[in-house]
Amino acid sequence: MNIQFKKGVLEICVLSVLARKDCYGYELVGEISKRIDISEGTIYPLLHRLKDVGFVTTYLQESAGGPSRKYYRLTEAGRKEEHEQKDEWMRFAASVNALLEGKNDAAD
Amino acid sequence: MLQTEQKFTRILRGRLEGTLPEEELNDIVSDYAEHFRIGKADGRSEEELFRSLGSPDDVAREIRATHLVKKAEDVKSCKNIFHAMLATLGLGLFNLVFVLVPFILLVVLLLVVFMVGIVCTIFGPVAFLLSLLQLAGIMGFTVWLSPLSVVFLSIGITTLGLLLVIGDYYLARFFYYLGIRYLKWNIGVITGTECVA
Repeated sequence: MNIQFKKGVLEICVLSVLARKDCYGYELVGEISKRIDISEGTIYPLLHRLKDVGFVTTYLQESAGGPSRKYYRLTEAGRKEEHEQKDEWMRFAASVNALLEGKNDAAD
Repeated sequence: MLQTEQKFTRILRGRLEGTLPEEELNDIVSDYAEHFRIGKADGRSEEELFRSLGSPDDVAREIRATHLVKKAEDVKSCKNIFHAMLATLGLGLFNLVFVLVPFILLVVLLLVVFMVGIVCTIFGPVAFLLSLLQLAGIMGFTVWLSPLSVVFLSIGITTLGLLLVIGDYYLARFFYYLGIRYLKWNIGVITGTECVA
């Protein structure tokens, strides 16, 4: 898939995963890259941006038998943003799908 | 050369040192250190982790652009917006057209309006004085307009010049604000050099 397209949806993917549960960076990267093929390194700059605008906060938590990990959590503003972007994406995806399917019908 | 955590960190540091405050840079480096640490505990090799992270140069470029845009937003100056624009320009060939061209056009527009404003502001009072001298009969000029109409015209020109200069200032502020928003959006969407197509 087009790289530019993927970058555009990365933000909503990150917000969406974090809406379900708090994650540490490696875990979040894993969740996303098991479904979408991305340069995993770009998730961290994105997380920094989301933290800067206040959609995400971080906290440290001990892990079983290792140094503590940095967890990311959605803020209230982040949750709201996630809802909005998700709605927007769903509507957009539905429209695109309808268009694509319509095109196939016409070709038959 | 071996693709290792050390290499990733070295490139990241090398590209961001001097731009990012030390504290912020350490924060970013520690994120990737954690990534490598957990990944290795997960049974993956450094080489494999390095490869799936993608190019450290791309990562550094993006962090740099984000930082410089934020700096330009916090401290408004020609230098800061210029650096932010340049850093964003480096994110992809796409930006050569969609960042550089609008930027140049806007700068030219602002300069032209400013210069027209300045010329009017200087020319107006000069014409005003000369026409007064002529009215008083001290000096004689051959102008195709009557001295009295030159008096009013010069007042008009001076006012127009001042309005242009002041308007240009607000126009520049407006473009600055729009520019920051555009660069931010751009960084969020554009990446790598592969996106020309």
